[in-house]
Amino acid sequence: MLNRSIPPAFQTLEKVHLPQVQSQTLANGYQLHWLNAGEQPVIRIELIFKAGNWFETGKGTSYFTIKMMNEGTSKRSARQINEYVDQYGAFIEFNHGQDRVNVTLYTVIKHLPKLLPLLQEIVIDSIFPEKELQNLKKITTQNLKVNTEKTSYLAQTRFRELLFGEMHPYGRNLYEQDIAHIEAPQLREYYQSAIRSQACDILLCGNIDDHTLALVRNTFEQVPVTSPLPDNSFINPVVPSLPNNKETLEKEGSLQSSIRLGKRLFTRKHPDYFKMLVLNEVFGGYFGSRLMKNIREEKGFTYGISSNLVTLRKEGFLVIGTDVKKEFTGLTIDEIYKEIEILKTEPVGEEELQTVKNYMIGSFAGSLNSPFAIADNFKTIYFEGLTYDFFDHYIENILHTTAQDLLRLSNTYLQPDSMLEVVAGGR
Amino acid sequence: MIHYQQFTLDNGLQVYVHEDHTTPIAAVNILYNVGSRDEDENKTGFAHLFEHLMFGGSRNISVYDEPLQRVGGENNAFTSPDITNYYITLPAVNLETAFWLESDRMLSLSFDPQVLEVQRKVVIEEFKQRYLNQPYGDVWLKLRPLAFQQHPYRWATIGKDISHIESATLDDVKEFFFKYYIPNNAIMVVAGPVKLEEVKKLAEKWFGPIPAGKPYIRRLPAEPIQEHARYMELEASVPLDAIYKVFHIPGKSSEKYYTGDLLSDILGRGKSSRLYDKLVKETKLFNSINGYVSGSVDPGLLVIQGHLNQGVSIERGEEEINAILAEIREQRVPELELEKVKNQAESTIVFSEVELLNRAMNLAFYANLGKPEQVNQESEYIQAVSPESLQAMAREVLRKENSSTIYYRAKQ
Repeated sequence: MLNRSIPPAFQTLEKVHLPQVQSQTLANGYQLHWLNAGEQPVIRIELIFKAGNWFETGKGTSYFTIKMMNEGTSKRSARQINEYVDQYGAFIEFNHGQDRVNVTLYTVIKHLPKLLPLLQEIVIDSIFPEKELQNLKKITTQNLKVNTEKTSYLAQTRFRELLFGEMHPYGRNLYEQDIAHIEAPQLREYYQSAIRSQACDILLCGNIDDHTLALVRNTFEQVPVTSPLPDNSFINPVVPSLPNNKETLEKEGSLQSSIRLGKRLFTRKHPDYFKMLVLNEVFGGYFGSRLMKNIREEKGFTYGISSNLVTLRKEGFLVIGTDVKKEFTGLTIDEIYKEIEILKTEPVGEEELQTVKNYMIGSFAGSLNSPFAIADNFKTIYFEGLTYDFFDHYIENILHTTAQDLLRLSNTYLQPDSMLEVVAGGR
Repeated sequence: MIHYQQFTLDNGLQVYVHEDHTTPIAAVNILYNVGSRDEDENKTGFAHLFEHLMFGGSRNISVYDEPLQRVGGENNAFTSPDITNYYITLPAVNLETAFWLESDRMLSLSFDPQVLEVQRKVVIEEFKQRYLNQPYGDVWLKLRPLAFQQHPYRWATIGKDISHIESATLDDVKEFFFKYYIPNNAIMVVAGPVKLEEVKKLAEKWFGPIPAGKPYIRRLPAEPIQEHARYMELEASVPLDAIYKVFHIPGKSSEKYYTGDLLSDILGRGKSSRLYDKLVKETKLFNSINGYVSGSVDPGLLVIQGHLNQGVSIERGEEEINAILAEIREQRVPELELEKVKNQAESTIVFSEVELLNRAMNLAFYANLGKPEQVNQESEYIQAVSPESLQAMAREVLRKENSSTIYYRAKQ
């Protein structure tokens, strides 16, 4: 007779094979990286530029520059670009981030030769038409209006603003008046210095063979490169002082409150990084975390609550986020601090710690589920100046974290009076 | 191309195996053939509430998530009007844990009253978060009953009304479980670095002893042909006026589904689509607009939804949409434009097959329709669509009498 109350035996993965990306420098200084993986006849090509909030001078310049690259070259109108990409069933994205921006193209491999010239054109020949800019500004403003109706958006943007300061690249938010001030000449200037003049990184992944590599090389090796954009030196966050580190954005009529609670921490290079990952996981990093168990599963205050360790190139932070029924706002915050207190005073039990470690390792292995995801891991280390050592020791670092480590970390990093608390909705 | 092998246990559980030895991770997908369309109209939202209860412990295993996390696995689930789908990914060396967990909750839940109380609250918060606390979030709660008068697609998966969730009893839960959560009403797909023989052995061991239940035979009222255009006006504090226009269209159980799908792509997929190009880019009447099909198994909806720019009346926006619909009814779609949407559809399929879990889910979906082979035939169906069949579809579907429209006005 089958005994269903006894779980089957299991193994902990001790090693995960992470295929490595290969790199080559082109004659003009462009870095070409590629990963051949996966069975499907698809490819993702990314052009990655050192740009983004960190490198911009005027608010919104970087964002609008990258978005406007979809809006016309001297040979093609915005409409023609869209039609062309759609005609081949490809997808193109213009992503803007804190530390870099990228143009990403997804296509089935057979259409790549048709699409590469367009990519090149976008990089060297975007013209920023006035009409399209006005339209983009209008759409961005409207989207902003929709977003500011959402408590989660309000809480999140205000949290970053208070964490780093309104002028810091990581703390800045775009407001309607910022959008109104955007003009084409400043975008053209930024395009010239951040996109056209700089050698970028090209990352290919998917079904890559020599023929494809040669095609890409030929397309981009010709692009003239002048000077790299200087990295801004470290910018100190200037944090506004708040009574009790707390702020409430009242929003009448909202049924729920969005809570963001956390503090600045560190980047992936910090010696406590891996241990902090484990602590974050125990606290609120997965479905079985303490916050989820307490606040969703036991109390039913929310549909979800999580804590995240966010790492950017120059800074990192911890943030706990949830949307709760308005009347439970105070109770939820109390419970978050209670959980912090427990982490600071009681060592995490052996079984719980083992579960968390195995879960983290399994989900790391599981996250390598496509050529795209594997290439994303490369970006993580490459752009932060790390090596594959980071991933080679990932599992080992997690397995070596002890309950004592977590106790020490909780007492070092989770002091309640160091936490910033933002609520949008009402308390 | 998704290769698969199949066997059926004596209790009726259908098992599909898709081998892929390029990954250390296995995916186990269990699809129960029950969705919100199967609900009693006075107990809506049950299929979805049930999805939550499935994580609250089963007969021999008090908690579901933790033992899975302990072996490095992850899981989730979703409920649609047509199906409820549960999935696990975990290191393939620990595959048996998935069988142990899934078979115990197919055998029986714990029916713990405390679990029902908490999940009831969680679902109510989900209702608020997704449908009430978002601008335009309630539109589908209104649009469904406008478009459907008989078919149970007339209520949303979350439920018609919060009160149905509030009043659910443990007896309701038990009845629902033993009616739908039976091996002969489920499809299991196991994918990854696994062998058919190994899966057979595990399936026999863990699922074999579960008794079959009374077969569920679906008898849903068909939606009568709509004869008059329907309208509704809503007003809420949202940033922009919006319009939602839907038309009845064939569902995934029909081959004509793909024609309707491509028709919606021509109208409203991406920036080069007719609606976007004309109304956002050219005339700038709309802030955004798109078109898509609901993708349901039974006849569903072709949806056009757009936000109007400030100062443009909804009525004006609707006129312009109607002009674009008239054009596609009257003039044949050029070959090049058809080729475009075919390329888009094909590339969507190829990209959706990149991830193992997606392949497992797709296979389960078509197996549940009784046509597993269709998972590899979608491209063929898409290629078979012609300008003529597209025009015939446009004439049949994009008629005023077949439409339901909501004017969603921004409160001043």
